[in-house]
Amino acid sequence: MEQGASTIPQAMISQAMIAAWILVALAFFALGILVYIAIRSRTRQVDLEKAVQAFRSLDIEAFRNLVDSGEEAFLRNNLLPKKFREIKRQRAWAALIYAREAGRAAAALAKIGQAAQQSSDPEIAASGIQVTENAFRLRLQTIGACLHLLTEIVLPDLRSPSLPPLVDQYERAAETLFRLGRFSSRVQGSVRPKSA
Amino acid sequence: MLSLNWHRALSLFLLIAPHALLGVLAVILYKRRFFVYVLYELAKFFPLFALYSVQGVSGKEYAYAYCVTLLISIVLRFGVIDEISRNLFRESQFLRVAARRSLQCVTGLLLGAGALLAVYAPGGNSAKWYAGIFVVNRGAAMVQSGLLLALLLFSRFLGLSWRRSAFGIALGLAVLTSLDLAMFALRAAFTSEAAANFLDLLITGTYLVCVSIWIGYLLAPELELASPTVVAHDEVETWNRELQQFLKQ
Repeated sequence: MEQGASTIPQAMISQAMIAAWILVALAFFALGILVYIAIRSRTRQVDLEKAVQAFRSLDIEAFRNLVDSGEEAFLRNNLLPKKFREIKRQRAWAALIYAREAGRAAAALAKIGQAAQQSSDPEIAASGIQVTENAFRLRLQTIGACLHLLTEIVLPDLRSPSLPPLVDQYERAAETLFRLGRFSSRVQGSVRPKSA
Repeated sequence: MLSLNWHRALSLFLLIAPHALLGVLAVILYKRRFFVYVLYELAKFFPLFALYSVQGVSGKEYAYAYCVTLLISIVLRFGVIDEISRNLFRESQFLRVAARRSLQCVTGLLLGAGALLAVYAPGGNSAKWYAGIFVVNRGAAMVQSGLLLALLLFSRFLGLSWRRSAFGIALGLAVLTSLDLAMFALRAAFTSEAAANFLDLLITGTYLVCVSIWIGYLLAPELELASPTVVAHDEVETWNRELQQFLKQ
């Protein structure tokens, strides 16, 4: 009885110790992420060249084809189940890479859009708001798309709907950015940076 | 005896130095956001330091005062985090809804984890009442550091631009709450006097680091954004050309 009574506090202490060290590990993991964010935030300028390359690498038609439910139905009906799963996994991987790149491009668009919002030209500022909003929507949609595609990779037999909103959102974001670029080039020379 | 003096000297330095810097911070932040929190942190220092220095005050009386001020600090920190997130998502109507909803989910999860932790790992077997306050602070630090981390990661992920001062406040507070989580987790588990003294020194030391982060970021000049108005004509044309090609595909 005595032994039992002394075992309970011992167990509680060791439980508390384990919890304490787990929390210390979590806290230092969080600190590591914070240091990384702080270092990366020093290089805040948007690399336009990289963003252009990101856009160039994206073949929207190929992506549309990869996530097309009609294509998927055709493959399902004409291939052996094992071959279908293999092909579907490969298609989902390829689409995942597209979605990830679209997300990265969206983040770059968002930064450019936010910078444009600070412009003294009301047209550029208004266009900047549109770019930013579309870019944020696209970025969030790419998360949903990536999760969706990951599910397809894990469970290729699962019947899933296509992903048209992502494609539409990408096109809308690109179009507003194009408009912003047109405004910028039109007013070139007449607009000064706010800090000047 | 010598080591005792060193401990006392170091304690005094770590108590006074961050609060002297907080005074500088209060001047920089005068009537701006975050000013109330800084003012409170500064105001609570004087009575606590008086209690710490006066000979007749018992450890228990100091512990009471410390815990009351700590609980108010916890509440104010939640207010600061709320203000940071409101400020961050202010300019985007879409984010005001989407991001705040996501943050509410994160808060719910963190609160649940904090409550479970308090139930299943309530700290050492100390019967002292203030061990419970450390467990509360440990849970609050977990929620607050989790929220700030989510906020920083979320904004980075979306490509959301921070003002340098707001970023500094969020970063400093995130470092403070993360270290608080580690220190108060250990404080709740190790209740011996030697461990408590050592951890108290670390807690005040981390506070000095965080106040330095706040001052550093608030005094640093704002980084110029890569505005399209300062981008060369050729670069904008490159964008147009690339996007035209992209849209034609």
